Amino acid sequence: MGLITGQTQSEERRAVVSAPVVPAGEVAAPMPTAPVGLSRLSPLRWQLTLSALTAVAVLVLLICLQFGAERIDLAEEIRVVGLAVREGQAGIESAGATGVILMQVRLPRVLLAFMVGGCLAAVGVGLQALLRNPLADPYVLGISSGAALGAGLAILFGLTGTVLAFSALPLCAMAGGLLSVLVVYRIATAYGYLPIHTLLLAGVILNAVFSALVMFVTSIMEPNRSFGMMSWLMGTLTAPDYPAMLVLAGYLMVGLFVLFRQAASLNLLTLGEESARSLGVDVETVKKTVFFTSALLTGAVVSVSGMIGFVGMVIPHAMRLLTGADHRLLLPASALVGGLYLMAADTIARTLLAPTEIPVGVVTALAGGPFFIYLLTSRKGRLA
Amino acid sequence: MALKRRQQGILTGMPFMANLASRTFVDDLGRKLYLAKRPTRVVSLAPSMTEILYSLGLDEEIVGVTDYCDYPPQARAKPKVGYSNPNLESIVALRPDLVLAPSTFLRADTLAKLEQLKIPTFILEAKAIEEIPSHVQTIGRMMDRAQAGDRVATEMRRQIAAIRATVQELPPLRVLYVLNTQPLITVGPGSFIHQMIELAGGVNVAGRAQMPYPRLSLEEVLKEDPELLIFPIGSAESIPQNEQQQWQRWTTLSAVKHRRFHQIAADLLNRPGPRIAQGLEALARIIHPEAFAQGPGP
Repeated sequence: MGLITGQTQSEERRAVVSAPVVPAGEVAAPMPTAPVGLSRLSPLRWQLTLSALTAVAVLVLLICLQFGAERIDLAEEIRVVGLAVREGQAGIESAGATGVILMQVRLPRVLLAFMVGGCLAAVGVGLQALLRNPLADPYVLGISSGAALGAGLAILFGLTGTVLAFSALPLCAMAGGLLSVLVVYRIATAYGYLPIHTLLLAGVILNAVFSALVMFVTSIMEPNRSFGMMSWLMGTLTAPDYPAMLVLAGYLMVGLFVLFRQAASLNLLTLGEESARSLGVDVETVKKTVFFTSALLTGAVVSVSGMIGFVGMVIPHAMRLLTGADHRLLLPASALVGGLYLMAADTIARTLLAPTEIPVGVVTALAGGPFFIYLLTSRKGRLA
Repeated sequence: MALKRRQQGILTGMPFMANLASRTFVDDLGRKLYLAKRPTRVVSLAPSMTEILYSLGLDEEIVGVTDYCDYPPQARAKPKVGYSNPNLESIVALRPDLVLAPSTFLRADTLAKLEQLKIPTFILEAKAIEEIPSHVQTIGRMMDRAQAGDRVATEMRRQIAAIRATVQELPPLRVLYVLNTQPLITVGPGSFIHQMIELAGGVNVAGRAQMPYPRLSLEEVLKEDPELLIFPIGSAESIPQNEQQQWQRWTTLSAVKHRRFHQIAADLLNRPGPRIAQGLEALARIIHPEAFAQGPGP
């Protein structure tokens, strides 16, 4: 029943129970046994895990802030932050180039990496649970390529205006992401309900079509514009200014909150749709909520960062091994670790060849790919 | 100025020299090309090549150009054969007896196919600005326009030398050449424009980058503090408003404090052709306007 064949029946059942992510397209739902992790989640463990991860995230943030084109050591870092807190903009500028670099370039960029990584990972958890497929992430479903197409068209037609303080490019990207979700959803609901495997197939096909269109758009652009477009596609984190970042943070928080509220339903949904329905879950509503929230979050994230792959796929798997499969813990934990991972990856991207930067999407894929293969080969029983 | 002289060349630079020159030419890839007679059907695979051909007073001989060949204006009317991935069928259909191509944008398989089809192909790739006048002379000899070629080349060399002399003694200014704002892409050592900036009396702030077209860290920009930002733009545009706004955020930059945002016609700098001296002068005037204030310049 799993990806890996040749298991005995009991092994299969154990695998399903400990990590209730099974590929779509399987007809038989697993036995409605409660996943092992569910009963064990005490409030204390929830609090401990999340506070430990938050502490690690803060630590990583402090480390990441030291590295860039120019090394800024911890003492200097604390001094500049102190100045900025006490005297605001004047304090930043009194610290000279270091102050501006730390407070206006590096800090917003590291925070943006945290938000983007966190959202991608949380969306990955949601979609994997929803589709009961370990490979599901925003990329597989065509959401990201839809967003990329939107952004590509904005660049092609030179849309540079602003609507309500948002520049046109992110808005086009979000519109593209939403469009692809609507198309996938429309295809998948052709039978009146939402069969998981059709959804996945529709996503894969749409992804291919949109990727082709993105390539077409890139190929007909002026050479100097297509240059920018291609680097954008490879994933870019640039320092936003603080007001824009606050708006983005607020938006993402609302989305994540909606997603977290579905955690309990997702736990039941991983047992199979029939079982979840019999346990009183409004399956169709949960599916719609998770799906559209994921799309809106992904659209927003892609619009500010371009295509950053593998965070949404690898982090949920790693966290499932560490914290168990209970989504009440898995979702927030994945968000924290996803943010942490992207902060670290982006630090590598901006330091490795400094002063040249490499696309952060390249780093996440190169670090995440081998890790994923390792997980697949060494823990196959728990992944399948 | 130079253009007018070139047009006189049409009348005077006639093929008197033809039988004096050797008919074997070596291109920048070291390939030898023997031309038994003067080519009469030439396909140009780069805007700079097209400009060189026109500067020699040729027109009828040009039978195919790229999608981007827009100078001089009559080049737009020529049949198009594509650019980085030119359409081989259109090239063959034009029955060229010479194809002029740059090596950067010509794919190896396209070149192999052209050779296999026995279409004489000549590759020119200027690594430094000094090579461009020599290219003009080479093409001049190939096309029996040696005299015109020599004249254009001499004038280019004179202009380049005059600009260098003008800015040589001046303190160099720190320049950031903005190819793309988000993400920031600029020119680094190894690129043609990097050389041009240094020749025009500037210092490229991306001088520490390891590649010709790096994605430069904004932190590096803030640290190196460019005194002027130069935006290459197409023929009719100006610097996009939102790009300017994005740069206005960095109030500590000298270029922002002193409002030194400049634009330059990208085609003048990007094309290693006869207008490169004009491009260098435009760049030098942007970086050191004071040096050109007294007179009409070189």
